[in-house]
Amino acid sequence: MFSWLDERLALSRMYKKFFRKMFPVHHSFFLGEITIFSFLTLVLTGVFLSINFEPSIRMVQVGTKQLPAAYASVQFIDSLPFGMVIRSMHHWAASVFIAAAFLHMIRILLTGAYKKPREINWIIGLLLLSFAVMAAFTGYSLPFDAFSATATKVGYEIAASIPVLGTWLGQLFFGGTFPTEHSIPRLTAIHMIWLPLIIGALIGAHVLIMFLQKHTQPKYAEKVAPGKILGVPFWPQQALIMGVLFAVFVGVLAMVAGLFNANPIEHFGPPGPATPTVKPDWYFLWLYGFLKMIPSSWHFTVFGVYVGPEFIGVLIPSLLILFGFAFPLLQPSKTKLRYLELPSEHPVRTATVIGVLAFFIASTIAAYNAELSLSTGFLWFLVLLGPVVVAVLAYLLLRAIYPRREGASGD
Amino acid sequence: MYRNDRVIPFFTLVFAAALFLMSYLDGRHITALSGGKPQPLSVGQIGLISLGLVFLVYGIIGYISVWLEGRELRPGVHKARPGKAQWVGMALSVLAVALSGLFVQAIVHSLRTQENHPGAEGIIFGSISLTVAGLLMVYKHYYQDDEVHVESEDSEVPW
Repeated sequence: MFSWLDERLALSRMYKKFFRKMFPVHHSFFLGEITIFSFLTLVLTGVFLSINFEPSIRMVQVGTKQLPAAYASVQFIDSLPFGMVIRSMHHWAASVFIAAAFLHMIRILLTGAYKKPREINWIIGLLLLSFAVMAAFTGYSLPFDAFSATATKVGYEIAASIPVLGTWLGQLFFGGTFPTEHSIPRLTAIHMIWLPLIIGALIGAHVLIMFLQKHTQPKYAEKVAPGKILGVPFWPQQALIMGVLFAVFVGVLAMVAGLFNANPIEHFGPPGPATPTVKPDWYFLWLYGFLKMIPSSWHFTVFGVYVGPEFIGVLIPSLLILFGFAFPLLQPSKTKLRYLELPSEHPVRTATVIGVLAFFIASTIAAYNAELSLSTGFLWFLVLLGPVVVAVLAYLLLRAIYPRREGASGD
Repeated sequence: MYRNDRVIPFFTLVFAAALFLMSYLDGRHITALSGGKPQPLSVGQIGLISLGLVFLVYGIIGYISVWLEGRELRPGVHKARPGKAQWVGMALSVLAVALSGLFVQAIVHSLRTQENHPGAEGIIFGSISLTVAGLLMVYKHYYQDDEVHVESEDSEVPW
């Protein structure tokens, strides 16, 4: 049987080319695999959800109540044996996908793995993170409960605030002024078809390029096999440890999903005249916090186009992503990076990354100002100067703990 | 960071515990504010738990990786020594079958009574998955020979 297939599909050659790819052994590489397994879990649980979900806001009779069909179908999913766990796993996997992708990129930054020749994969990674956030946002709206409908409306208003393109984007992604009868079918198509296809294709390209360029090597490999690739073959060794990781991941996720329903629609109820107090999902909190600090009266006009404070919600992430794209190109190098750089030997870069993390944390704290009642002046200090102070302290600490070595670059 | 050691996995586990604790305290605070009425998870709690989950899984797989693959690779083929691992394997297999039976029972019970118990279902299903992870670990550690290769950087893999 194998030889019959081999003659036609050259399986032996494929085995040698792909299945014997050498994988380095270092735990820091597992962050990328956790990201991929989150996506795989999302696809597997999403298939079950898509079979039972009705993407419509038409009113249906459920018992004595009139409910939107999307909301009622999610109630139906929750009523199925193991249905609530699968839906909850989907919700948690979406959050973990974003968290893991973000931490994976932080690891890439800290170890310099974005440098030549891996600039393209860095850009693909940034795109993946952006599309993952979009997928999570579009999925968030689908149950059409009071909480998600209100949060999606805020997202719509931010998209609609983009000068010139806003109305067109509202039509394209939300089917008009949210919520219309076209909104949920449109968001469903984007969430279930287009974004998974794009994310799947980007992951494929990411992995293929990694196979071509090889992984960066852990620092110890420089001593064991200088100038060479040191690793274990994908099949059977790496595949087995990946199997262990996937089983651990699914095990932990299923337990958390069963114990904590991340989106209990029964609690929120269907959309009604009362608008619930909502905060955006946790990965938008930093942006929400930043927007909260900008006075609502702030606006200006450029060439007759009105620019309001909501537009900042699009502008800041766009600028960050653009800077991220350009980041590896700002550090041109003639040589290829082969070994992971130790964060302790690059204190400027490490301290800058810590400063950026401090910015995200400070902005997230600003999102809770309604509860904390801090003055706006203090928040601006916390968000803008706080990260600088943290970065300087991190740099000084790194310099004190790891004195500069001869020949070290110190960037 | 230099080698595949336990330092970072240890700190990620500590970090995961701290994030879960923060989420728990946040939940208690929210419940107290709403007069003791249990509330759904806030977005902040979901974020803390999600980040905690990544750190937890990372810490666990980090420890497993050190146990199964060692701190540094050494080129060559390293033979596995089964010892008495078959007993551990058998015990885990029996556990996996028993848990699977329990899971089917839970589903049938849910179908009969029209009552779901997501907490129990999630814990049983998660336990099956963790048992499978244990079985794979036993197989890898005690039965699979380790191959460590050195190859040229410009090999024609994949093109």
